Amino acid sequence: MNAPARTSELSWLARRVASKLAFGFAVFVIVSPAILVMLWMLSLSLKNEVDNMAYPPVFIPSPPTLANFEAVFENSNLMRYLVNSLLVTGGATLVAILVGVPAGYGIAKASAHRTAICILIARITPALSYLIPLYMMFQMLGLTGSLWPIFITHLVITIPIFVYVMIGFFESLPPDLEEAALIDGCTLWQAFRHVALPLARPGIVVAMILSIIFSWNNFVFGAVLGGRQTRTLPAAVYNMLTFEQVAWGPLAAAALLVTAPVLVLTLFIQKEIVGGLTAGGVKGG
Amino acid sequence: MTMTTRKENRRGLSRRAALRAGAGLLAAPAIMKVATAQTSGAFNWRRFAGQSIEVSLTLGPRANVLRAHEKEFTELTGIKVGSEAVPEQQHRQQVVIQFNSGNPQFDVLTVSLHVQKRLVGKAKWLHDMKPLLADSQLTAPDYDFPDFTGGGLRWATQGDGRMDTLPLNIDPWMIYYNKELFAARGLAFPKTFEEIVMAAEKLTDKASGQFGWVSRGLKNANVPVWTSFMLGYDVDPVNTKTIQLQTMTDGAIAAADYYKKLNREFAPPGTVGFNWNEAQTSFSQGKIGMWIDGIGFAPPLEDPTKSRIVGKVGYGVMPQGPKARHSATFADGIGIPVASKKREAAYLYCQWATSKLMCNRLLQSGGGSPCRASSYTNPEVVAGIKLPREWLQCLQDSAAIGRQGLPEIVPVTEFRDVFGVGLTNTLGGADARAEMQKATEAFTPVLAKSEA
Amino acid sequence: MTAPIAAAAARGYGRNYLPFAYPALAITAMVIVFPWLFTLFMSAHEWKIGSPREFVGFANYVKLAGDPRFLESIGHTLWFTLLSVVLPIAFGTGAALVFNERFPLRGFCRAVFILPMMATPVAVALVWKMMFHPQLGVLNYILTSVGLPPSLWHTSIDTVIPTLVMVEVWHWTPLVMLIVLGGLAAAPTEPYESARLDGANAWQMFRYITLPLIMPFVVLAVVIRTIDALKAFDTIFVISEGGPGTASETINIYLYLQAFAFYNIGYASAIVVVFFVLIIVLAMVLLWLRQKSKWS
Repeated sequence: MNAPARTSELSWLARRVASKLAFGFAVFVIVSPAILVMLWMLSLSLKNEVDNMAYPPVFIPSPPTLANFEAVFENSNLMRYLVNSLLVTGGATLVAILVGVPAGYGIAKASAHRTAICILIARITPALSYLIPLYMMFQMLGLTGSLWPIFITHLVITIPIFVYVMIGFFESLPPDLEEAALIDGCTLWQAFRHVALPLARPGIVVAMILSIIFSWNNFVFGAVLGGRQTRTLPAAVYNMLTFEQVAWGPLAAAALLVTAPVLVLTLFIQKEIVGGLTAGGVKGG
Repeated sequence: MTMTTRKENRRGLSRRAALRAGAGLLAAPAIMKVATAQTSGAFNWRRFAGQSIEVSLTLGPRANVLRAHEKEFTELTGIKVGSEAVPEQQHRQQVVIQFNSGNPQFDVLTVSLHVQKRLVGKAKWLHDMKPLLADSQLTAPDYDFPDFTGGGLRWATQGDGRMDTLPLNIDPWMIYYNKELFAARGLAFPKTFEEIVMAAEKLTDKASGQFGWVSRGLKNANVPVWTSFMLGYDVDPVNTKTIQLQTMTDGAIAAADYYKKLNREFAPPGTVGFNWNEAQTSFSQGKIGMWIDGIGFAPPLEDPTKSRIVGKVGYGVMPQGPKARHSATFADGIGIPVASKKREAAYLYCQWATSKLMCNRLLQSGGGSPCRASSYTNPEVVAGIKLPREWLQCLQDSAAIGRQGLPEIVPVTEFRDVFGVGLTNTLGGADARAEMQKATEAFTPVLAKSEA
Repeated sequence: MTAPIAAAAARGYGRNYLPFAYPALAITAMVIVFPWLFTLFMSAHEWKIGSPREFVGFANYVKLAGDPRFLESIGHTLWFTLLSVVLPIAFGTGAALVFNERFPLRGFCRAVFILPMMATPVAVALVWKMMFHPQLGVLNYILTSVGLPPSLWHTSIDTVIPTLVMVEVWHWTPLVMLIVLGGLAAAPTEPYESARLDGANAWQMFRYITLPLIMPFVVLAVVIRTIDALKAFDTIFVISEGGPGTASETINIYLYLQAFAFYNIGYASAIVVVFFVLIIVLAMVLLWLRQKSKWS
């Protein structure tokens, strides 16, 4: 090998290493805000109040304390709120699957954009404007004090998400198979049920995740329509910010506890989400 | 399930602890009297045993004291209590939405009298307490209504003479100061508004991050700071007789200028975005000379797990202003919705919540100042107070010069919002007179309409 | 060969598919019809909860047109929305390009990256608020320890909106990333190979191949972000309450004040109607752009 070739090979190597390093740096930069905030929350939740307010800040809890988490469990009816949140989010997502997936299919097949807009109006309307009339409506129906009002209002969050994602999904599915099924004498429903639906699984997973995230994290409905026994977790956490007392540690602990269920869920199925999106989940519509 | 039991245990424990601490001495006569009343048939606490009531409280030390002892009420009366404490802002809005629907979900609620008194009064959402108080079948003989202070009863009584809440707590504003910092500069607590400025100036050393002053500046939350100063000029924000705004008077403008000077020159940067908790956090770090706010914020400052200045906090009464000396006061009451179907049981709860026993406990916790004269004169109660004696002295002296810190009108929140924006702009450097002028013009029609 | 059948299906059977949407339509209507009728009705009245109601026709709308607070809030809303759409789109697209490459620990990094999206906005906003404390917050500590001047964050009129946008960007960039990543993954590989043979550089390949391919996805992300940013409430309400003064008061925060702090239901209803029209108009413009991006 002659000299110039070697130098060019070296510089090629150097460029490769440099670009790898730059890429690694880019990954670090985009991941760090998420991880730093989460770690800081964790740090706050494991320190006592004096350390939490210290300046310069104390980063590593020493020794770590679980007192904040104990305080959260003692001071609020957290288990009940957890069950409420599970019921509301689970129920609203389930109903959204039942009605939203067929709706997305029907609208995609019929190109019924006006129908789609009617459903999307629910998502576009500011949630605050629902609160007073809905409270009055639920009062007339005698539902206040139960979980129904919160469950029903969460449908306004979950159904549009499902419809929107599924329209895009079904539009991107090739129509050949269902048409073959129709020619073989299937009804429209059978073609949907046995041909289109099984293919739509990745899309359903995506819609489900999004609807769980948005429903779980909703604050306004639970805060205003919920009562003592019917609050959802985010509204209950906001109540943790006690008046006339600074409580950063318990607050961070509560914040972590609320986020934890969705977080764990996501970590387990994040491959599915990306898979669903890759299959064309959020395309078109 | 396990949680509730744990909670009960904790309550049980804290009750025993309280009994041991000497509060039991006070509790005993009341409970014994009840017991004898039951047997002799004079007063029966258990007439409504078996009912259950819903109680909606504003989150804070008052609610904490009531909820910690709720089980005693159930033992006494046989009435089950479901209570919830909700942060101030949310609580006010939930309560109004529920009243509006005609069928609120609660049988007892606390009302921030300085904000909602006229609103609930005008809409007649709450029961008049007077007939209930007069009913010897419903009011225990040892309730001792005359024990309530005149100030408390004035807060609870509407313009038309109805008393639709029982007074629970009065919160006077005062000045917390850092005794260590004052001593280091050889300063005494200021006696006048001018001396506050002088002390703040001497205490401020921006290079080392030390500031002489801190107060709230956030819109809405900042209005009580301004009115605290305004009262020193002997001006109320609204003339209660003519319902005219007095926010363009020289005193009101001077108060805004004074507020501006303190916050711009001697307070840490960013106070226009501070509410009480940011101010409290700053003060508790030991690098702030003075902090003006309600006296109910004291307990965390004396708690070594939360504060770096335990034992160093001075409690100063609002100093003499150019024209007058007043402490701005704010108050809470407890009432019963007209729509409640369990009025009597709810009334028993209100009675219990404002009884001598509970008022004494509130005072001893340091979380508020009850409206009963006996709480402050009973030596056993005083001996059980956890906070320094100086705090109690400040509380009593402040109460003696108390004057309402917010106007008694329907749109209090709008008042706080509109003038709060003007004050934030002023603190940001704008001209006080121009800002107050703008706010006054914006608010005048709102006031005229609401009080028509 | 299926084309004629598909066309026939589209023509003849299209309407037959509509019943699939009826249950969803019925449920949605059940929830939103009454609030909408109520809102339209109330917007023609002056009504403060606790006081009598009075019919005023269009007076609320006329008052809105001359309400400086409302007009100012439109400006804040648009500025906030612009920033919290453009920045997440830029960062999210960049992150999607990175995550589309294969590298060690990719799955883990991707999972970490999407964490913020899962976090409950109210809870996280409270934590951010602690971090923003101008004297005691951890962010100013970090800034000063690397030699930068401290910021006043949400406590200054000049920095409050960028501060809120920062939280919004942190929260919602992952959603944009996921949507764009879906687009990238579905993109064909042939154009790249031929471009590489033609000697195109990385930027040219991005500009002339990747970007057009993912454009529909980017526009979809823009539509979703725009609707959500216009309606943003939790973050602003918790961190700045619209302040200092009115510096971060968006339409939604002003609506909250009028409805839930002042109880002016009539006036608040008029705000809802105007706000809704504004959102619809912006969404329409964006959807139109989307159709265009599809055709091109």
